[in-house]
Amino acid sequence: MSGMEEAWSVTRLSRTIKRRVEDDFPAVWVKGELVGVKRYPSGHWYFGLRDAEAKVDCTMWKFAAARLTAPLQEGTEVFVLGTANVWEERTALRFNVTQVLPASGVGAQAQAVEQIKQRLLADGLLDPARKRHLPPFATRIAVVTSIAGAAVRDIITVAARRWPGVELLVINSAVQGDGAPAELVEALEVVSRLEGVDCCIIGRGGGSKEDLAAFNDEAVCRAIASCPVPVISAVGHEVDVTLADLVADVRAATPSQAAEFALPDRRDVAARLAALRAAFLGRMLDQVSLRQQRLQRTRDRMGSALLDRLRGAERRVLLARGRLAPALARHARRPGVRLTQLEARLTPGIQRRLERARATIAQCSAQLDALSPLAVLGRGYAVPRRSDGRVLRHTADFVPGTPFTLRITDGSIAARVED
Amino acid sequence: MTDAPPSLDQDLRRLEEIVRTLEDDDLALESALHLFEEGVGRLKAAQARLGEAETRVMQVLKDAESGELKTEPLGG
Repeated sequence: MSGMEEAWSVTRLSRTIKRRVEDDFPAVWVKGELVGVKRYPSGHWYFGLRDAEAKVDCTMWKFAAARLTAPLQEGTEVFVLGTANVWEERTALRFNVTQVLPASGVGAQAQAVEQIKQRLLADGLLDPARKRHLPPFATRIAVVTSIAGAAVRDIITVAARRWPGVELLVINSAVQGDGAPAELVEALEVVSRLEGVDCCIIGRGGGSKEDLAAFNDEAVCRAIASCPVPVISAVGHEVDVTLADLVADVRAATPSQAAEFALPDRRDVAARLAALRAAFLGRMLDQVSLRQQRLQRTRDRMGSALLDRLRGAERRVLLARGRLAPALARHARRPGVRLTQLEARLTPGIQRRLERARATIAQCSAQLDALSPLAVLGRGYAVPRRSDGRVLRHTADFVPGTPFTLRITDGSIAARVED
Repeated sequence: MTDAPPSLDQDLRRLEEIVRTLEDDDLALESALHLFEEGVGRLKAAQARLGEAETRVMQVLKDAESGELKTEPLGG
């Protein structure tokens, strides 16, 4: 026990009580009678809840009250869902209510469903952020339903019409009756073991409210929530929303609609593909014509540049010719030039004459050869000559003692006339 | 979940990307030609997938003892 020196402030007391009360206080459903119901202009409700033994003051804030389907009625029996709060300023306890359901007319089953819903909510399984998107082009879909029911036939029909290439893996399960929840959970466990599955449809055809009970089962809901692929719920009952619908990633009103959600329409995709093809080829053509235009522009520029050059060159040639013409004319009149021209014209004549002369010479030399004394000497004759070169033709020319030379074919020999 | 070679979804997305890229006037000729080749291939693949005609309906059965799964044609 503390002494007076360490006395608490009232604030500290109030805060401590608040903390002790509020920490870890669970949201609970409480059954009681509504008393002293007041609605304030702010939109908040204040009321008491009591039974035979006790009473608790309650608040229901505007945001929670907005979900009330009917105004709170004094004296009615209700179930309220809430948590304990301490209002610090008065250190007063208030039960903060988030939901009110009338006790009369609420079947035990509906209450149970509501309690399951609260638990799923508390675990975040109904959080919209958890919802997964369906793949745009599923190729393999798991279907959890009864193979004896209409649901599976509807799904097959729609799938074959919309997206024929799909593969449906059906996992049979009871969808109503006492054994249904356990079978559905087991079927979902099978789905989680299948490979290459894009999404899962779980559902059944239409039925009475009691027939849908399995889709409000907590274990089924949790199995749906933990399914590794997106789940489409397809419980054929448009009016009632089951908890399975709330947990599933997508809710379809009927099994046929589930198949429509799961699969694209082939015609839509064909149209999209056709549009893409057209856009693709169009852009490609644009790319080509763009380059053609660029090429044409370049060619035009090159062409005109070349023409410019050609014209320039032509002008210069004309100019040069203009200047050269008089000079050439002057040049041609000079005598040297005319001589050269004559010589050029004469040369062929001279050549011919030279040839002829050469031929004549060759002929003459052959005749001369035949007449040559050397040729006679070659046949064994000899020519005697005096030292003065005179040929000794007669015997009188041969005076004894006279020297002479004897010319024979290959030389001369010195000789003397003997006595 | 499917990790099969480029899915229809991937083909279509890539084609859209290619079309966007081709809108660029300053695209290099080389790149444009590569994109053309790729685009034609993906168009063909997508068309082929669209043409798949057979819906297969299988039933998955679980062996009560071993827990092993097997599939067989439904209603077969």
